[in-house]
Amino acid sequence: MSYLVSPPPHIRTPMSTKRIMLDVLIALLPASIAGIVLFGWQAAVVLGISVVSAAATELVWQLIAKKFRKRPKEAFLACLREFDFTSLVTGLILGLSLPALAEAWYAPLLGSVFAVGAVKMLFGGTGKNVVNPAAAGRVFLFLSFAVMMRYPAPNFGAIASSDLSSLTAGATQLATALQGEPTLSALDLFLGTGVAGCIGETCKLAVLVGYIYLSARGIVKWYLPLLCVCPAVLFGMLLEWEFSFLLMAQLGLSGGLLFGAVFMATDYVTSPKSRLANIVYFVLLGLLIGGLRKAAGIEVFSFCLLLMNFTVFLIDPIFKPRPFGKTKKEGNK
Amino acid sequence: MSVRAKRLFGGVKIPSRKLSAGSPILPLEGVEEVCIPVRQHIGAPATPVVQAGQRVKRGELIAKSSAPISANIHASVAGTVKAVEERPDGKGSTVLCVVLTREGEEEAFLPPLTNPSKEEILARIEEAGIVGMGGAGFPSHVKLRPSTPVDTLLLNGAECEPYLTCDDALMRSHCDEIVRGAKYLAAALGAERILIGIEKNKPEAISAFSGALEVVPLKKKYPMGSEKHIVYTCTGRKIPLGKLPAAVGVDVQNVATAFAVYEAIEKGKPLIERVVTLSGKGAKEQKNLLCPVGAPLSSLIRACGGEQGAVKLVAGGPMTGTALVGEEAVVTKTSSGFLLLSRGETNAEKPTACINCGRCGNVCPMKLLPMQIEFYTEVKDYEAAEKYGGATSCIECGACGYVCPARRPLLQSIRAAKAALRRKV
Repeated sequence: MSYLVSPPPHIRTPMSTKRIMLDVLIALLPASIAGIVLFGWQAAVVLGISVVSAAATELVWQLIAKKFRKRPKEAFLACLREFDFTSLVTGLILGLSLPALAEAWYAPLLGSVFAVGAVKMLFGGTGKNVVNPAAAGRVFLFLSFAVMMRYPAPNFGAIASSDLSSLTAGATQLATALQGEPTLSALDLFLGTGVAGCIGETCKLAVLVGYIYLSARGIVKWYLPLLCVCPAVLFGMLLEWEFSFLLMAQLGLSGGLLFGAVFMATDYVTSPKSRLANIVYFVLLGLLIGGLRKAAGIEVFSFCLLLMNFTVFLIDPIFKPRPFGKTKKEGNK
Repeated sequence: MSVRAKRLFGGVKIPSRKLSAGSPILPLEGVEEVCIPVRQHIGAPATPVVQAGQRVKRGELIAKSSAPISANIHASVAGTVKAVEERPDGKGSTVLCVVLTREGEEEAFLPPLTNPSKEEILARIEEAGIVGMGGAGFPSHVKLRPSTPVDTLLLNGAECEPYLTCDDALMRSHCDEIVRGAKYLAAALGAERILIGIEKNKPEAISAFSGALEVVPLKKKYPMGSEKHIVYTCTGRKIPLGKLPAAVGVDVQNVATAFAVYEAIEKGKPLIERVVTLSGKGAKEQKNLLCPVGAPLSSLIRACGGEQGAVKLVAGGPMTGTALVGEEAVVTKTSSGFLLLSRGETNAEKPTACINCGRCGNVCPMKLLPMQIEFYTEVKDYEAAEKYGGATSCIECGACGYVCPARRPLLQSIRAAKAALRRKV
């Protein structure tokens, strides 16, 4: 009788990469459902295209990479075995951060191919990418297609009978608010009813449900998204020099801040390693967003996130934890 | 009396799986041949002083300590020396063993001591071949002569490893003996204070000791029983890197060592048997067995009703133990347990890419960054592994490997980095 021999530990946690990604997908479910309810079939089309094309991009890439070594059938099975749901998460997050415009069906397709193919797989696949693929995909689309600047408001609730032109004409609710246009109530912002914006980020309630799920499952440290949102809102209020509840609600509840802080900034691969470095990273991200929002007049979350992704390599060594029992005199070498 | 414990940084909650928790200590029956390795401790191997064919009594010296850091070894059964030869150790290597065939019941113990002096205690501990029974097996007579003054003796009854219950069983049934052993240890050290740290998942043991010693109930968290960390949680003192607990005036001894000291002094019995947990769902029954040193693993498995679907044999706990290649392994002075793990308990999944989740760093009780060590070790940049990860400070508890969702071989990499750095220095 022969036994398995391996180095310790001989027992492992049931939590695996696949399980983590599945949990993120589950956490994104409320936002997806809310998006489809608010924006209708167009949202479903965008989400479907982005998720399917993201997964397809990874599979095709893996097939090409493996084709030369194995027979096609074996290569395909190996690809399926190794498929760890990360590209599904990327595709879904990207889809949720796009406006629900079915006529621009090519946008989620191209965005997903770019995010998974160029940003993730080209750098070596899962765990090796430098910047957040979903954020990079969104920025790519935003800079490439003018249609991405048009945000429809959901044809739902109190807004249904009113004049939609002012909302569909240009920017998100955040942009209108930042330019001093008449705004919606905090409750509308929270529920996403009548708010112009992207599919997943308008209904804050759904984002909040996802946040609670991720925190409870231990996927995301509960304090990290708060450390991004609070500085962003406070810094925004400071810049406006106005301290009202309505402004706080507008800064915190409009745009993609909440969605990005919960689902995009917390991406493991592109955030720092240690606890303290993560705290610093999130606070800096929040401040950057608060400042740039005022300067740009539009939502800048994905741009700020990409910028911060490049600082991780600087933050990590500076905020390395000091080993237990290492005295201060020896320094943090 | 109880003392409040300090909070431990990092650590991980692991299901205890103490399958043998209810088992009393049962003597191991049916051992006809024992195979006693001459190296069961850290330091130089002992030199055999018996020849094949010679009759030995139980407790007789069969291998003598040969260096300052070494330990005596005694016959664990009465009988005839069958051979003094190299035998497979179950870990894929061989070790010099004294093989005894059991015959008769003659005993040759040392004379019991009453009211021994400090020097008498130390001499007896050295003579009886007592080593640290928590796992490392450092000769106790060396550890009890620290270079800096010690004011506190800390008994380690944390037993934070899942499955293992040998210390728990001993603490529940032999509380008085452990306390008396601890008093001898404290006298030998000149320590005024005796503390005992026990994890809260052993309430019976905590209540048994609360009348006799200062008990520190510890939170159930792995690796609570690590020397550096139990010293911190129980006394609040931080051991500087690369130093021993004596540097902060504490000496840590396992509860089983304290029990062995009691037996050596009051009964004159050398360290020839110990409590061993045989556990895991790959065994029919899970038991705490009192085994003579040198008893083959196969006899332990037989005493537990045989194996059923075990895929992995482990000597020690599941977090730090060594996987065995076969059943040739024997009980030594440091064997806390043997595990027969079934398919469902252990897993041999292939490693996938690191997703930089940071879990390994968050659970590391030494506040290291295992993912960095592994990353740099893979590209053989060991200096960077030390600089960015802190490879040489690792205590090899395995918490990082336990939590890794990508199943990275973190501990293996850290050991490789440590070995490479040691070669360079």
